[in-house]
Parts: sequence; C-alpha cells; structure tokens
Amino acid sequence: MSCHRAAWRRAAPGQQTSDARCGEHGKRGQRGACAADEASRPHSDTCDVTQRWCDGAMRASTPQPRIGVYVCHCGLNIAGVVDVVSVREAASLLDGVVIARDNKYTCSEVGQKTIADDIRNFALDRVVIASCSPRLHEKTFRTLLEKCGLNPFLLEMANIREQCSWVHPGDAAAATEKAKALVRSAVARARLLVPLSRSQGRVVPKAMVVGGGVAGISAALYLANMGIKTYLVEREPSIGGHMAMLDKTFPTLDCSLCILSPKMVEVAEHENIEVLSYSEVEKVDGQVGDFRVQLRRKARYVDEAKCTGCGQCASKCPVRAPDEFNRGMGERKAIYIPFPQAIPPVYVIDVEHCRYLTEGKCRVCEKVCERGAIALDQTDRVETVEVGAIVVAAGFEPYDASKKPQYGYGRYPNVITSLDFERIICADGPTHGKLKRPGDWAAPKRVAFIQCVGSRDEHRLDGAGAYCSRVCCMITAKQAFMIKEKDPAIEVYVYHTDMRTAGKGFEEFYRRARAQGIVFIRGKPGEVRGEPDGSLRVVCEDIDSGCVLDMRFDLVVLAVGLAPPRGLAELAQRLNLSHSADGFLLEGHPKLRPFETSIDGVYLAGCVQSPKDIPDSVAQAGGAAAAAAATCSRERIEIDPLGPVIDEQLCIGCRLCETLCPYGAIKMEKTDRGYKARAVEVACKGCGVCGASCSTRAITMKHYSTSQLVAQAEALLEVG
Amino acid sequence: MESGTWGEKDRAVVTVLDPEFKHEIAREPGGENIKYCFQCGTCTSGCPVAELDSRYNPRRIIRMAILGMRERVLSSDFIWLCSTCYTCYERCPQDVRITEVMNALKNMAVKAGYIHPAFRAQAELVGGHGRLYEIDEFTNEKRAELGLPALQSDLVEAVEIFGMTGLADLLSRKGA
Amino acid sequence: MRYAIFLGCTVPVRNLSYELSARRVAAELGIELADIPDFGCCGYPVKSVHHETSLLLAARNLSLAEEKGCDVCTLCSACTSVLTETARQLAADEGLLEEVNRRLGAIGRRYSGKVQVKHLARVIYEDVGLERVKKTVRRPLDAFRIASHYGCHYLKPSGIYDGFDHPEVPRSLDMLVAVTGAEPVDYATKKECCGGAILGVDENIALQMSRAKLDDIKAHGADAINLICPFCSVMYGANQRKIQAKYGTRYDLPILYYPQVLGLAMGIDAEELGLSQNPIKPKALLAKIS
Repeated sequence: MSCHRAAWRRAAPGQQTSDARCGEHGKRGQRGACAADEASRPHSDTCDVTQRWCDGAMRASTPQPRIGVYVCHCGLNIAGVVDVVSVREAASLLDGVVIARDNKYTCSEVGQKTIADDIRNFALDRVVIASCSPRLHEKTFRTLLEKCGLNPFLLEMANIREQCSWVHPGDAAAATEKAKALVRSAVARARLLVPLSRSQGRVVPKAMVVGGGVAGISAALYLANMGIKTYLVEREPSIGGHMAMLDKTFPTLDCSLCILSPKMVEVAEHENIEVLSYSEVEKVDGQVGDFRVQLRRKARYVDEAKCTGCGQCASKCPVRAPDEFNRGMGERKAIYIPFPQAIPPVYVIDVEHCRYLTEGKCRVCEKVCERGAIALDQTDRVETVEVGAIVVAAGFEPYDASKKPQYGYGRYPNVITSLDFERIICADGPTHGKLKRPGDWAAPKRVAFIQCVGSRDEHRLDGAGAYCSRVCCMITAKQAFMIKEKDPAIEVYVYHTDMRTAGKGFEEFYRRARAQGIVFIRGKPGEVRGEPDGSLRVVCEDIDSGCVLDMRFDLVVLAVGLAPPRGLAELAQRLNLSHSADGFLLEGHPKLRPFETSIDGVYLAGCVQSPKDIPDSVAQAGGAAAAAAATCSRERIEIDPLGPVIDEQLCIGCRLCETLCPYGAIKMEKTDRGYKARAVEVACKGCGVCGASCSTRAITMKHYSTSQLVAQAEALLEVG
Repeated sequence: MESGTWGEKDRAVVTVLDPEFKHEIAREPGGENIKYCFQCGTCTSGCPVAELDSRYNPRRIIRMAILGMRERVLSSDFIWLCSTCYTCYERCPQDVRITEVMNALKNMAVKAGYIHPAFRAQAELVGGHGRLYEIDEFTNEKRAELGLPALQSDLVEAVEIFGMTGLADLLSRKGA
Repeated sequence: MRYAIFLGCTVPVRNLSYELSARRVAAELGIELADIPDFGCCGYPVKSVHHETSLLLAARNLSLAEEKGCDVCTLCSACTSVLTETARQLAADEGLLEEVNRRLGAIGRRYSGKVQVKHLARVIYEDVGLERVKKTVRRPLDAFRIASHYGCHYLKPSGIYDGFDHPEVPRSLDMLVAVTGAEPVDYATKKECCGGAILGVDENIALQMSRAKLDDIKAHGADAINLICPFCSVMYGANQRKIQAKYGTRYDLPILYYPQVLGLAMGIDAEELGLSQNPIKPKALLAKIS
C-alpha cells in the first residue's frame, strides 16, 4: 500500500507518470513487485470496466485539477456560528484551488450563477461546496455542473451545517476550525474525483399498491386512470380496510360503504387494476423502475375463478367461529365471506376452524357447491411480479385497549372500543344497527366516551403512542351524534382532554353535536369500575366546573388511538424503509415530501405514514400515485455510479463480498480463471461494504475510491 | 362538603403570577417533569383523597404551580394532603410524576418556612435519634423477651446527616 | 438466599408480631436473614420535607447492607419504595452517586451502588416461588377467606419493581394466600390506599379512606385482612375500633400479616407467630383451625 501511495505523491503536478496512472490499482507488496514496474505493463483485456475507469482517472487528474470552493453562509444557519470568511480564506490557500468564494445562499439562482460563471471564466474542472447536507442539494448542484458541461460527479460537498454549525452552536471558534478541516478534506477528495457516467436502468411501466384500504384503493384508481397497470395487494380476503367497517363517516354522515363500495367495484372492474387479495409481500428485490416483488398468494381453498359468492357453502357449513369483521361480537362460518360487499366476492376457508383442514372430516361445502368451486387441496402460491414503483398503503390497527386494564376492556363486557361501537351501530352489524350493549344486548340509557386511550400517552410499555391519533375526537362526536339520532333521551357524556375538530366541516359538526345535548366533559378518567349491578362507574373531575363527578353508565366506549399495523416492521424491512419515532413509516421530508420515502420508487399513502382521516388519506394517495406514475412512465432510470469496480486480476474468489452484501448485489461468476466477483448493478445501493471488506483490495467503489477516502482522512488529521 | 369548598380567598382575582416558579420546581429533585402537564385531570380522577375532599386536587395544584401562584401554593394546607399512593404517578399520560412533584412542592414549602406540624414532628423525631420511634433499654428488653435481637439505640451517623444537609437548621427556625 | 433484614422504624417497636412471624417463616423457607442493628430510618418520613436528607438516610442504610455483603429484605412497603428507588437511582446515576458518597464520606461511609432491595412478600413470591412454598404447607387453611390489601408502595411506582406484579391488576398476594389453602377474596377497593401517610394531617380523611376498604371487605365476608405493611396495619388494625366508634359500624376483622398466614399454614404455633400481639385478636379465626 505504501508503495503505491508514495508513487502517487512523487508525481509532480503536470507530470504524467505510469505511477500516477495506476494510482488506484497498482499491485501490492505481496506480489513482490514495485508498483511503478507493474504500472507500465498493459492491463488485461478482461479488466474492461476498470480500464475505462482508470483512463478517466488519468484524464481528470492531469493536468493539475482546477478547483472552485464555495463556502455557504446559508443565511445565519452557518454564518451565525462559523466564520465563513476565514474558512473561505483558508480554502483559497489549498493546493489546486483556483477560486474560493463565500455566498449567502449558494443554492439560490444568484449563488448558482456565480458558480456557473466561475466554471466558465476560470476553466474549473472540480467544484467543492461547503454548505448543508448533500441530502438537500447534491442533486441541484450536480445538475448545475452538467448544465455547465462538467461531469456531475466532479462535485464534492462538505457538510458544515448539520455536521458543524448546527451541532456546535456554542463554540464558534471550534466550529470554524472544524469547518476548515471539513473543507480541506473535501478539497483533498475533489483532487482525486474522476468523471463517471450513470448507467441506465430499465423501467417496468407498472405499479404496485400494498394495502387495499381507502388509501390503497384511491392510489390504485389514480394510477390506473393514468394508464398504468397496477397490482393492488391486500392481505385480507377482501379489500376495503377499516373504512368498510364503519357505519357513517364524519362530518357528512355519509354511509361509509355506500361511498366506498362503488370505488371497490371500480377497482375490481378496472382494466388496469389486478386485485391480488389474500396475498402478502414476502420479498422485494431490485430498485426504482425495476422491482421484483415476491408475493405469497394464500390459499383460500376456493377457486376464485369459479366462485360466484352465492353462499350455499356457508349456509351448510357446520363450524362456527368468532366473526373478526364484527370484532368478535357474533359468529361466522369456517367458510365465509368477510362482509356482503366484499371484493373479490369470493368465499374463503378459515384454516384454523375448518373441520376438514384440521381433522380431515366434513367436506360439506364441496358437496353443496354447484360450481365445484371448493378446492380443498389448494396450497399457498408464491408469485413474483415486476413493477416500476410501489405505493405502501398498509393502514393501521386500533390500539389494543386491553393493555390498559384499568379501563376494564376485556373484563367488563359493556366497556367497548370505538370500532366495536361502529359495528354495533352499523346496519350490517351484530345487532342490525340497533343500539344495544354487548353484556346483555339491552339498550343503554347513559353512555360515556373516554378519549385518548392509547394516544397522547407516554406509557410506552402499554404500547401507547405519544402522538395524537387525530381522528378519534371526530369519531366520538359522530358516534355520540348517532346515538342522539337514534334516541335523544339517551344521555351521552364525552370525557376528553381536548376536542380536536380542525378539518373542513368539523367545527361545524362539533357545534351540532353540542346542540344535540351531548355533554363534553373536560377531564380524563383514570379507571372504569364495574359495579355489582353491572353498571360502570366513572369518577372524574369535570375540570371546567371544578366538581368531581361520580357517575354510573350502562355503556362505556373507549376512543382508542391508531397504532402502526401488525407486521409493519417486517414489511418495512423488506422495502428498506425507515420508521419514524412513533412507529409509523418515515416520509422523505416532513414538510415537502410527505408521501415519498428515502427509497426511490417507494411511496406512502394513508395512515401507514401517520394517523389521518379519509379525505387526507385519499389526498395523500393521489400525490403518491402521481409520483409513482412519474417514475414508472419514464423510459429509463438513470442509476448513479456508486457501485464497485472489481479488479479481476486481484480477485481471488474468496466470496467475502458476496456473503456480506446486504442486497445480493455482488455475485461470484465462474470464469476461465476461477470465480470472480461481478456487480449486479440493479440491486446495488452503493453502500461500500464490499469495497471495505475485500481481502485483496480488489474492489474499490467508483465514486468513493480508497485513495479518495484515505486522502480525506489525511487532510482531516493534517498528516502526510 | 364545608371543609372542602373552594373558599373566598381562592376565588379572588389574581393579578400577580411568578413565571419563574415552574422552573424552580423543575430544578427541584422530583419536580423535573412538571411542565409536561396538559391538565387532563387523570390524576385527580384516580386520587383517593380528592374523592373525599375537594380541597385536595392534584391537577389544580399543578395548574396553580405552573401559572405561578407561588405564595398560595407553598403556604397552603392542601399540598400536605397527598397520601403518596402513587396512583396519579402511574396513570399520568404525560409522565409528570405527580407524587414526586408534590414532594418537591412540600420540600420548597419547608425551605420557604412552611412545614406542617405533623411532618415537623416526624422530622424532629428522626433527626433526634435516627428513627421515628426511639429504641431504648426498655424496647430492647421487650424484644429480648420475645427472642428478638437488640437494636442500636442512638444512630449518631443518621443524626449527623440532619446537620450536614441543613435540615436541622431549617427545623430550628420558627415557622408554620 | 441471604438478605439483611430491614425492620424500619415501626415494626421493631410496635409490630413485633410481624417481625416474629417474618423471622420464623423465613427460617422455614430457607431465607437467611442477617441483622444490622444500626439500620436507621429509611428516609420516607423525611422525604416530603427534605429530599436530600431522605436520600442520604436511605443511602447510609444501603451502605450498611453493602458492607455486610447483603441485599436488603424489607417488611414495610414504604421502606421498600424509598430504599428501592434510592438503590436504583444511585446505580444509574454516577454523578449522583459521587455526590452522595461525598456526603457519606463525612460520616465515614461509602456506597458503591450494588445493593438490591425486595419486600419479604416479593422474596417469598419470586425467590422461593409458589411451588416451594406449597411444599411447606402442613395445615391448609381451607376454612379461611382472606382479603389481601396490596396498599400503595408495594407495587408503585411500577417502574422500580421490575414488573414482578401489575399495579392495576395485582395478583401476587392473592396467589401467596391461595397457596396456603385459604380462599383469596377479591373486592373492588383492593388497590385503595390506607391513608396512613396523612393520618397526622387530616385524621378524618385518613379514617374515611380506611373505612371504605373495611366496609368492602366486611361486605365480602372475609375472615381476615392480609397485610404486608405496618403503616397499613396502624390504619386497619390499631384504628379499626376508632373507625367503628366514629361511624357506628362493626367489623371485628382480624388483621394478619402474611408471614402469620403462611406460618399458620405451615403448622407453626399461633403464639410463635405473635398472634396474641395483633391489635384485633383473631380468636374466632384460630378456632376454625384448631
């Protein structure tokens, strides 16, 4: 290693030496020859990529690079702590720096024009920008370089904001020295940057939406109407999600399924949408434009093509099981359809309860089905689908109120959640819409709602979220209103900490609710006590009057929060998505990229990103669909050249890189000189693990070569 | 309930608030999280004392503290009514740690010269011989009769602690 | 299993029966209890008045235990909470430990932060375990219906007790009772506070708090209350007659400390368990088992 480095150092500016030519991959000491000797030999023909790359290095590295350094004030974000002028002055003294400037806002029109002018006037061939994180403007500045005729990868950025001024606000002197070191380091790398070209990736002009609730359905329709073939994947037997379980929607009190069902049918009939129900995402390979998604199509034990949804099978099935669509209140058969308006309108057999599948007996459904649609020998199928973009609309699950035993959920049958209430009041539900309490199916006379169960709550061990779930105040106002509509004589009390009714039409609805005589009590009860007579006792201060109220209720409804859905961590891992602190999925930028993610080609819609109501879910779905459509309507995707360069002469086929690569992006291939590593560009994310771990230093990363990194380190430490 | 009504004094209009008070409480051991309170009232609704006497209302006490009613809170009788059952501490959705906030307020009241006689008495006992109940010859004899080991009478070290921390001085001051 | 037994202030002077039965039963269960005669007040009574003093009193006790090479086993719930909290704080906060040691140094003491604290009931529940306890039962108390009073500091604040029981739906004491053959009585006010801490501040409120529980337990027809804290026994035991007099009720409800319950089930003589010293004599109760 020292041999080659010394060779590089000895090259005087302007001197073309064979040493310099092989600055990047001259032979190492173990072959027993000096780098300089080896460098004069021609390279092997099989070393095509590295040859081109080395040539490029040579072209770019000689004559002496002409570097422009731009130190940004970023208003006061940087300049408020770092002495940008002295950083600029220090930069101007560095080797190879032709011009150094400091600007107020480098990313602005003015700032960019300055750079463009300098590139032209000073014949710059490298640009170093000391400013904010590259995550913000690397793209912007690369585009600028391209416009000026420079290769976009001749840009280096030094982060003197997020990694300097913003984290050392109290120590201006030290922050300034650090900024100078970071700039020194950036210039050291800039000297060694080589022009690189992007490769082209294919784009599959199809999209996938994961999750068939209202957000997923909306995204699929928007995509399909833009002419994009879309797969809508849903793990339940039917699409519809939680919206299909609701009776009415606020603030208009539209019947939920009445507005959702036509959308569901539209999805089923749309020529551009293929509904893959009762299916789950198992594995995702590839990258933007070219994803390969492996799906598990779970066995229904019913042939989807033949089933007409007539229901004969269910009417004869001898097995009863708790009905999950009705939240356990009521039963269904082992062969069932989740709800009458299910899409697809196909029956499914419950593996856990079916007598045949558990004990080998029965088969009545098979006997009575006139279409011969029962297929008891069905198995799960694994299918792989190719898409260009993915929209994740996996929704939420309601907070499990049994985690707060003090409220009695699970212990007292008349303590229920808002979702349970929704099923009771729904015409399709276990009571056919009659307001009856589960304990004895009697009509309640006095009902209490308790808000914020599992939300705005620091009890992480109970699974509670610190966030506000946003929709529960309106859900309760709606449900309270519906109770009063059914029977104005029923007393309704809503125990809350705040009433949050901020959306369009919501405050007006809250006013109507008050006019109905619903009493809103500011005060949160600590527990619900079951009394021997079956009533539920709630002792709570009414803060606004200052009186502690000790009341008895027939029914208590817990307004549970929205939690991340079951299995989200696994799904996120498969897609390489991050979570935000609240457990939901992390958006690209909290303000400006609310439905993108850090993974190109993957978008978010609905509650999976953060709890929200139906209109917001649909709106976000529209945005996600537009972004996804833009991606998969392209001809090609440009893939940044971040992957490895493999010197096959040095590669000994030890497979270490293949073992360590988290993306399966480097594979050993048999050649006539043994196994050699080959990069799989479409899968590569440029993480650099292969380059860092190669036992013979055969791999270097295209845009982050070993010598560049070494030069950066040395510049930071001011050695060598 | 007569003993518990919100009195005349409490209904008077407030014109002076001390904005520093809440920060002082937050600096006191136990009081660190007081400012997180969003007045939901879960504490009061589970409080066994509040259920019996509306004079004690932890939510209202914290409200007064955050508003900055320094004198009113520190000189009050109600801060001494906390039975330290920790129910509010367990249930508070904002992790305010109310029981410890109450302790912090009582500590501050003592430093300001207000100490409930019952607590003064206990502190003086412990400060006198290191225990609430003195262990004397008689006690040890009784114990011996039952086959129980003797206990050390005067715990000098414990008493020294009272001097070291300044509590002995605080107690020797004239006060409530 | 070796622990330094922390008697606190009240037990060794006013609840000798608790101490007697605790030692006796611990011996039967193979729990070695070491004595430290200069254990002092845990600090609880002073916590409301001066936190620093309370902390140092607790730390001093912990350093005594550490010197003896023991963890601490407590009999009083309030002692348990203060000592456990202090032990955890000092184990987690190096800066605080240093501060405390500076102070302790002035009285010739030092603490390195490694002592664990457990209430005797928890030691029996966790360290010995119900299976082994069951094996020591020679005289099952089938005739008894016993209501356990959990009180406050045994389980709260839950963050310091490693989740060994649940403060909203507690079970440990009921299970400890069940293992003796007695029927554990469930009742609505099981978790309520005895009010002992404010007896000196407002006797009226404190007595009302205890009264509510006594009424409830009586209504459920329990033969006795199972207690694990001397503070609580002051309220339910020593003050039972006062409550009866004030409110015109009659309970005659014997209070038993858990080691007495278990001791009776082990076949140990009532006298050895100090039952004659209990404030409300369990005569009728004992008649059931003789």
